[in-house]
Amino acid sequence: MSEPSIFFFEVNERQGVFHRRAFLLGGLTGMGLLALGGRLAQLQLVEAQRYQKLSAGNQFNYRLVPPPRGLIMDRNGVSLASNRPNFRLMINKDKGLEAEAVLDDLSKLVPIDGTRRARILKELDRAPRKAPVVVMEDLSWEEFSRVNIRAPELPNVTADMGEVRVYPFGGAFAHVIGYVAKVSDRDLKAAEGDPTQDQDLLHHPGFRIGKQGVEKAFDKELRGRAGATKTEVDSVGRVVRLDPAGDIPPVAGKAIHLTLDADIQNRALEVMGEESGAIVVMDCRTGDLLCMASAPSFDANRFVRGLSGPEYKALAEYERKPLLDKAITGVYPPGSTFKPTVGLAALAAGIDPEIRVNCPGSWYYGGRTWRCHKKGGHGSQNMHEAIKNSCDIYFYQTALKIGPTAIANAARSMGFGQLYDIGIPGQKKGLVPDPAWKKRAFKKNPANQIWFPGETPSFGIGQGALTVNALQLAVMTARLANAKKALVPRLIKSIGGVERPAGSDVPDLPFSPEHLAYVRAGMAAVANDVTGTAYRNSQLGLGDVQMAGKTGTAQVRSYDKGVSRDSKDVRWRLKDHNLFVAFAPYDDPRYAVSVIIEHGGLGGGTAGAPRAREVMRVALLKDPEMRARIEKPAPMPEAVPDDVMEGAAPEEPTVGPPPPAPTTPQGGQL
Amino acid sequence: MTLSGGLSRPGERDRPTIKFMEIDWTFCLVLCLIAGAGALMLFSIAGASWKPWAANHLIRFGLYFIMMVVLAMCDLRWWFMAAYPIYGVGLLLLIAVEAVGDISLGAQRWLSIGGFRFQPSEIMKIGLVLALARYYHGLSADSARMSWRLLIPAGMIAAPVLLVAHQPDLGTAMLIAATGLSIVVLAGLSWRIIIAGIIAVMVAIPPFVMFVLHDYQRHRVMTFLNPEGDPSGKGYQIVQSKIALGSGGLLGKGFGLGSQSQLNFLPEKQTDFIFATLAEEFGFVGCFTVLFLYGAVIFMALRIASISHSHFGRLAAGGTISTFAVYVLINGAMVMGMAPVVGVPMPMLSYGGTVMLTVMIGFGLIQAVRVHRYTEVTSGKGSLV
Repeated sequence: MSEPSIFFFEVNERQGVFHRRAFLLGGLTGMGLLALGGRLAQLQLVEAQRYQKLSAGNQFNYRLVPPPRGLIMDRNGVSLASNRPNFRLMINKDKGLEAEAVLDDLSKLVPIDGTRRARILKELDRAPRKAPVVVMEDLSWEEFSRVNIRAPELPNVTADMGEVRVYPFGGAFAHVIGYVAKVSDRDLKAAEGDPTQDQDLLHHPGFRIGKQGVEKAFDKELRGRAGATKTEVDSVGRVVRLDPAGDIPPVAGKAIHLTLDADIQNRALEVMGEESGAIVVMDCRTGDLLCMASAPSFDANRFVRGLSGPEYKALAEYERKPLLDKAITGVYPPGSTFKPTVGLAALAAGIDPEIRVNCPGSWYYGGRTWRCHKKGGHGSQNMHEAIKNSCDIYFYQTALKIGPTAIANAARSMGFGQLYDIGIPGQKKGLVPDPAWKKRAFKKNPANQIWFPGETPSFGIGQGALTVNALQLAVMTARLANAKKALVPRLIKSIGGVERPAGSDVPDLPFSPEHLAYVRAGMAAVANDVTGTAYRNSQLGLGDVQMAGKTGTAQVRSYDKGVSRDSKDVRWRLKDHNLFVAFAPYDDPRYAVSVIIEHGGLGGGTAGAPRAREVMRVALLKDPEMRARIEKPAPMPEAVPDDVMEGAAPEEPTVGPPPPAPTTPQGGQL
Repeated sequence: MTLSGGLSRPGERDRPTIKFMEIDWTFCLVLCLIAGAGALMLFSIAGASWKPWAANHLIRFGLYFIMMVVLAMCDLRWWFMAAYPIYGVGLLLLIAVEAVGDISLGAQRWLSIGGFRFQPSEIMKIGLVLALARYYHGLSADSARMSWRLLIPAGMIAAPVLLVAHQPDLGTAMLIAATGLSIVVLAGLSWRIIIAGIIAVMVAIPPFVMFVLHDYQRHRVMTFLNPEGDPSGKGYQIVQSKIALGSGGLLGKGFGLGSQSQLNFLPEKQTDFIFATLAEEFGFVGCFTVLFLYGAVIFMALRIASISHSHFGRLAAGGTISTFAVYVLINGAMVMGMAPVVGVPMPMLSYGGTVMLTVMIGFGLIQAVRVHRYTEVTSGKGSLV
C-alpha cells in the first residue's frame, strides 16, 4: 500500500516530527531491549555456574545425621553400652514460628503438660534461629506415627528417629563406663575452634557427649563421623523430596572392648549389697582388670535422660556417695593388708623371717603403749605366723628395724602411691609417706618436717599417713601373686579392634622369688590355716583350688582412750573400714582381688573376705582351665603317685583341714 | 494516493469484512504466542496444572482477544469522540477512589461497583492516551513544540498522576506519567524543554526519595541499590529472582523443573516475577525468544502508528505502545535486578486480569488505528486530518 503524499505543510510537519520522534523512541526501546538481552546473557551465560550453585544451595539441604555411638563391650563381647532407637519430636525455630499455636496443635497428639510446655517455650526463646528444640523423647510408636501423619500441617515440627545410649547393666558399670549427656555450654566452649571436632554435630540436639569414665575418656573415638541426608526443601524449609543418592552415610564410632568381665562385675555389685566400697579383680598374669566395681552405684541411664534437680541432689548428698568411684577415687589406709608389703621390705632388708618376736598384747615404745589387736597377745611370732595372725607387735618392731624409707620403697615397688594409665580419669594417687615426703609436705612448718620415730610403727601396720586405693591394692596383690613382674592394670582391651598393650609387658619386681614365696605362704595361711584371720570366710569350696589372702582394718578414729573397738553400736560413719586382698589359686595364682568395705566394721575377715570369695568363685569358674581342675579333683587325691613330680607347692600345712575351728579369732586385727 | 484492489471505492473500507481483513493478524499471532508462553509458565509453576492460573489466563486472553477485534473495528472517529469522556470518567473515578476506595496492602487502589472491583488507574492509562492524542490532534506543530497551550496537556497528565500517586501507587503513577510524556514528546515537544525536564528530574530525585516516599517505597529503592545487604529480608525478591535467572543458563532447567519457582523461593512467581520463572525453565534461549516477541510487538505497533494518516491515530497508537514498552522494560529490568521492585507486571505473560485488560484495550486501539489508517478525523476546529 502506498502512502498518501499530498498534505498541507502544517500536516506534513507534524507527521515528520512524529516520524522522527517515533524512530527515536523505537530506537530507545530497542536499546532497552538490547540492554535486557545483554543483562540476560551476563546472568545466564557468564555467571550461570555461580547462580546454579546458589540455586542448588537453596534447593537442597543437607541434614546432619549423628553417627551411631561406638559400642562398649566387656572382654567377652557382652554389650555394656549400646544404642537403642528413640523417637523424638522437635520444633524448629524457623522464621515466623508461632510456638504457642504449634504447641497447642501438638498437645492434641501427644501429652504436653504445663511444666513441659513452659520449658519448651523457654528453650525456644533461648535457642538460636533454625535450631531445633526437643519437645519430647521416647515417643511410643503410636505417638510417633500420629505426629508423622500430620506432618504436612505442622511445618515447624519434625518427628524423627534418633538413637539414645543405653546401659543394659544399669549401675554395675556406671563408674567405669560413665555416661553420656546433653552437650553443655562448657563443652561447646571447650570444643570451639577445635578442628578435630565436628561443631555441627556438637550442636545437633540428638548428640550426646561422654561425661564420665570411658564415655568421656574415649569420647572422640566413640563419636564416629556424622553423615547427612540430602533433602530437597522449599522456601520455608519443608522437605519436598528425599534424595537418597546424595546421602552421606554416617560412620559409626569405634567399638571399645574392656578387660572387664560382666559376670564378675555384676556379681561384685551384687555381693556389695547395701555396703559402700569397691571390689577390684585383676588377672595375675596379664594385668587385665576383670572387675572394677564401686558401690553403691547409680543408674547411668537416668543421666542420659537428664536428671532432675532433686534426683541429682539425692544422689550427691547420700552419705554413701554413689557418685564417687571408690575403686580409684576413694583412698583409704590399707591397714593390715599392707603387712605383706612390710614383710617383703623386711626380707629385702635382710631380716631373718625366723627371728621371733614376742607379742604380749602390748608394747611400750616412745612414751606410749602400742597395742596388738589381740588383747592377750600372740606370743612368740615369726614372720609367717605374724602374717597369718596379723600380729601388730611383730610389724611395729620389724618396721622400726628397717625404717620408713625401706618400707616406702617396697610399697612403691608393689604399686602403691602411683597412678596407672587405665584410660579413665579420676584416679587418686594416695600417699606413701617417707622422710623425704615429710620435708616436701611441711614446708611451712619446719617442726613437722622431721620423721618422728613414732610414725614408723604405724606405717608398719598400714596406718598413719599412708593411703591407697582399691586398684592399688589389687595391683599389689597381683604383683605378689605373679611373683615376677611388676604388673600394671589394663582396663581398655581394644579400641576399634586395635589391641592395647597388655599390663604384663613390664619390668620384673625388685624382690627375690624366695621372699615373695615366703610372704605368699603367710597369706595362704591366713585363708587356709584354721587359725588364720580369714580362714572361715575364705573357703572357696572349689576342691583344691584355694585362695590366699590378707585381712585389713583401717581405723577412722582414734581408740587411744580405751574406747571399745566393738563396732556394733557405733554409727556407720565412725566404723572402721574393712579390707581384704586375696589371690587364687594360691599354688598357681590366676586372679587377684581387693575388697574395701567402707565402715564395714572390725576385722577384714568379716565383711571383705566373704565378698572376695564370692567374686573369686565367679572368676575361677569362668576360667576353663580352672574349671577343668575343679571338676577333676575327685580322683586326684587318690592318684597320689603322679603327684610326686609337681608336689613342690603343698609344703605348707594348708590343704584344707576340716573346719571345726573353735578358736577362730573373732573381731579382727589392726 | 494509490488506489488498489477493491478498497478504492468510497465507503468500501467501512465494510466489516474489509475491516476484519485489515486487522494486523501477524501482530495478533505474536500476541497469542506471548500469552501462550505465559499460560505455559503458569501451567508449570502450578505443578503442571491448569488450575489455578493457566486456564484463567487463557480464557481471559481469549475473551479480551475477541474484545480487541471488536474494538479494532470501531471507527477511529468514535474513539476520537470518546476520548475526552473516557478521560473525564477516569478522573472522576480516581477522585472517587480517594473518597471510598478499598484499601489493600496499605494503598487505596480499588473501587467496587456492583461487586466488580477494578482499578480506575487502568482506565486512566487509556483515557489519558486518547485525551492527549485528541488534544494534540488539533494543535499545530509550532504549538506542540513550545507554547502556553502546552499547559493544558501538562495539566491533563498531572491530574491523574498526582491522584494515583496519592493512593499511593507510585509505580502506576510513574507509568501514567511516562505514557503522557511519551505522547508529548512524540507530538514534537521542544528539545530544550525535554532536556531541561530531564535535568530537573535528576535533581529532584534524591530529595524526593528521602522525603516524599512512603517507608516501604524507600525500602524498595534502598534494597535495589544494595540487594545483598539483606538477602532474606527486603532484598530477598531481587536475590532470588537473579538466582532463578542465572541458574537457568543457556537452555534452562526444563519445563516444570525450575526449582526456584517450583519450591516457592521466588516470590510473586505467577505475577511480577513470571519472567524469572521462564528464564529458569527455558534459559537464555527462551528469554531471548520472548524478548524478541515483545520487540516485534513494539516495532509493529510503531509501524502502525507511523502509517496512520490522522495525527490522532498516530499519537494514540504511539502513546499506547510506549506504555507497553515501558511495562516490558521496567519489569525486565526489575526481574534482572536492574531496577527497584515496583509492582509492574510483564504484560500478557504475567497472571492478572486488570493489566491484561488494559493492554488488550490498548491493542484494540492500535488495531483500530491500523484498520482506519485512511480515515479522516476532523478536529474540533474543523481542520482536516
